[in-house]
Amino acid sequence: MSVKYGILTLLFRQTHHGYELKLELDSLLGIKGKVNPGQIYTTLDRLIRDELVSSPGLDDQERKRYELNPKGKDELVGWLLEPIPNHGTKDDFFFKWNCARTIHFEQEKKMLEQQKAMIIEGVLELTKLKTELLLQNQEKRYLLISGMLFHLEADLNWINQVENRLR
Amino acid sequence: MITIENLSKEFLQGQQSTEVLKGVNLNIKEGEFVAIMGPSGSGKSTLLQLLGGLDVPTNGTIQIDQKYLNGMTEKERTIFRRKKLGFVFQNYQLLSTLTVEENIAFPLHADGKLTNEKNRMIQELIESVGLDGLNRKRVNLLSGGQQQRVAIARALVNNPAVLLADEPTGNLDRAKAEEILSLFLKFHHENKQTIIMVTHDIFAAGFADRIVLFRDGVVDRVISRKDGDYAKYLASFMA
Repeated sequence: MSVKYGILTLLFRQTHHGYELKLELDSLLGIKGKVNPGQIYTTLDRLIRDELVSSPGLDDQERKRYELNPKGKDELVGWLLEPIPNHGTKDDFFFKWNCARTIHFEQEKKMLEQQKAMIIEGVLELTKLKTELLLQNQEKRYLLISGMLFHLEADLNWINQVENRLR
Repeated sequence: MITIENLSKEFLQGQQSTEVLKGVNLNIKEGEFVAIMGPSGSGKSTLLQLLGGLDVPTNGTIQIDQKYLNGMTEKERTIFRRKKLGFVFQNYQLLSTLTVEENIAFPLHADGKLTNEKNRMIQELIESVGLDGLNRKRVNLLSGGQQQRVAIARALVNNPAVLLADEPTGNLDRAKAEEILSLFLKFHHENKQTIIMVTHDIFAAGFADRIVLFRDGVVDRVISRKDGDYAKYLASFMA
């Protein structure tokens, strides 16, 4: 799970100081667990160096605040619209979608459709391979490919459910 | 092998006429496995009915094995159907009080008595669809997956050139559907049967060589894995 994109997501909504970012990130990652504070500050340093984030100064309690630059916003939108390859884990897409919902991403529908296209491509390629293995009696490889297809089916069902609820 | 030209079909309901097919053009090669997908009411099942000679088009022609279905009398169409075509339906359409082998043998009775050779063929079919030992069992005592296997064996008993299947896995869970599709694949591969399967399921359609998308009574697009944008198109088509 990417701390970088989690931070960009949270700063998209509003400015934050480091400790707030830690608490919000823990919540964004859900049950996947807590982020190490050191990791947040190293990532923030890198984001400032790359001009994706800047600091407008300190708040009234002298804590350093961070805000998103236009370049950071472009980076986040680009990432949201990039489908997760089928060999990636579904958690990667859940995280990305969670970030999209967090910022009320207006292109959520496009993002889901692109992910769906990626899955469908995988389904057709793997089914083709599966039929060849079936005809060649390659039982072990056939069952392995079948297992991958069951996972893709679950992912596709979930996207269909999200799309249906968006209507 | 199959040439469909400018095919249309209108249904009359009282004074109201509904055009379900609006000029379908499609060619299917001998030995090809084609899946037809599309939303409910897009005309895919009607096309299958017309291909099977179970109904007649309002306009246009269907040619199977260089014979026009349109030019045939009702009787000729029935004979053609029996010799050339096999049907598999979503709800199996078996005779529930008959046994497995009686159901499979049913299409053969029209050609006279069951010979030893025909009986041997029925036994072979029962084995190849994985129902050995269930010959004398009444079909209403079988599971859905087993009933669909009986239906497939019945559809193949005349060794038809073309197998028409309307949502053959629609009532089955994924594992049972996989078994049925594997049987289709096996017969398609071994007997070079042409298969035309209507389905709403992309996982079933993936077994086919080509996917024909239907929308509003016409062929919207024929999908081939070689087209660069096919997955994107399918994703928006299925949305």
